[in-house]
Amino acid sequence: MSMHDELKANAAGYVLGSLDPNERQEFEAHIAGCGECAAEVASLRPVVSVLATSVPQVTPRAELRDRILDVAAGLTSSGVGAGAGLKTGPYTVHDRRSPPALHDRKAPPPLVWLPLAAAIVIAVGAGIYAVRLQRQVGELQARFDQAQATTAVLGAPDLARIDLQGETVAPSARARALWSRSRGLVFTAANLPPVPAGKAYQVWVVTAQMPISAGLLTTDPTGGGSQYYMTPPDIAPPVAVAVTLEPSGGVPLPTGERYLIGMP
Amino acid sequence: MWLLAALARMRPAAESQAEDLESLRRFASGDQGAAAGLYDRHARALYSLILRIVGDEGEAEDVLQEVFVQAFRQAGRYDSSRGAVAAWLLMMARSRAIDRVRARRARVEGRTGEVTVLNDLPDSQPDASSAMLGEEQTRLVREALAGLPLLQRMAIELAYYEGLSHTEIAERLEQPLGTVKTRIRLGLLKLRDVLDHPNAPSPRVGDPVQGQA
Repeated sequence: MSMHDELKANAAGYVLGSLDPNERQEFEAHIAGCGECAAEVASLRPVVSVLATSVPQVTPRAELRDRILDVAAGLTSSGVGAGAGLKTGPYTVHDRRSPPALHDRKAPPPLVWLPLAAAIVIAVGAGIYAVRLQRQVGELQARFDQAQATTAVLGAPDLARIDLQGETVAPSARARALWSRSRGLVFTAANLPPVPAGKAYQVWVVTAQMPISAGLLTTDPTGGGSQYYMTPPDIAPPVAVAVTLEPSGGVPLPTGERYLIGMP
Repeated sequence: MWLLAALARMRPAAESQAEDLESLRRFASGDQGAAAGLYDRHARALYSLILRIVGDEGEAEDVLQEVFVQAFRQAGRYDSSRGAVAAWLLMMARSRAIDRVRARRARVEGRTGEVTVLNDLPDSQPDASSAMLGEEQTRLVREALAGLPLLQRMAIELAYYEGLSHTEIAERLEQPLGTVKTRIRLGLLKLRDVLDHPNAPSPRVGDPVQGQA
């Protein structure tokens, strides 16, 4: 059996995710330059996806739907993505105070309806409080997910670092991309010029075949920004990472001016 | 060209895909209602897969929540060229469920806090960016899966649903490592072969595709 045949035999294990780490790295290095093995991988993927749906189908509890949609509502209200976290502070202070304030009121002569009314007010207050807490949980979860994804990338055994330099439109801009095939991309930029209205920075992973959009990059007033992006595990090894200025929703292929570029 | 033929037959459920993309887009622009559609289309399939892997309803619910939170959080960045949203969600569900099982396994074996256990594990997210097969193709693959020799099927299932590596499967099945690798490979090639010959009278479990690539 030739070296190639031996490696090709690992395609199935690669697609199932069952290779040992050293085998996986060896195989990934091999498919980067071997079309035959890459095609083998591509042809096995849809088969494996059938495994995902070939299990006994079970309907989750209805309560779970409410719980998850509540958390989702928290995500939209906080703005999806990074940087929305600081809003949580004032809510906490406000909410913790308002329900006890009801207890502090000087009680008028004991009437039957008063405790009842107070109970209703407290219940409504507690309900609002619970909804806000749920939102906070959603926001915290979002920040935690982001942090966890970033940490996972930094701890990846196949971590690669690409430093980017500013182009002539932004000579002082700098950025660094930390990329792991299995875990994604962490991108950090500094000193980018302010974004004109209707525009956005877009991050590209450039492969030998074509540039692939990682996603949009939001910058703060200093022109800095940091973002985690998922990348498809089967993309060809990047030959460059770049940032361009594009229409605000982003575009499938780069059209705008290049602000940053770096090669591995 | 079996590959092209297979790709051509791999029509994602186009309507559902369009609805999913629309849900993600609307959610990203702040429309909370969009979450319900995505949930209703996928929760059952995702929950079923997660439950199969983690084996505990409470934990399965937690994992399902994690998956949706991750999906919603990344809604604005989902790139439609990446393929079916359904495949993406299933990939995340499997990956997170297996992480859960591995962490539990590590705890049971008294390796609490040993993060390297997780770091060193093989890639658990290989099938992103793929299309979903149509109903007919899915049925064919399922039939073929059921018809695989028991040890081939077990090896594939241990890899996919338990997240075990080849070495771990070899230990579990008390088989030589090389044998396990061969079984997994032959099994998957047979499943693929079915797609290549959909009109064959019975699922083709003959020779793996040789020399056609």
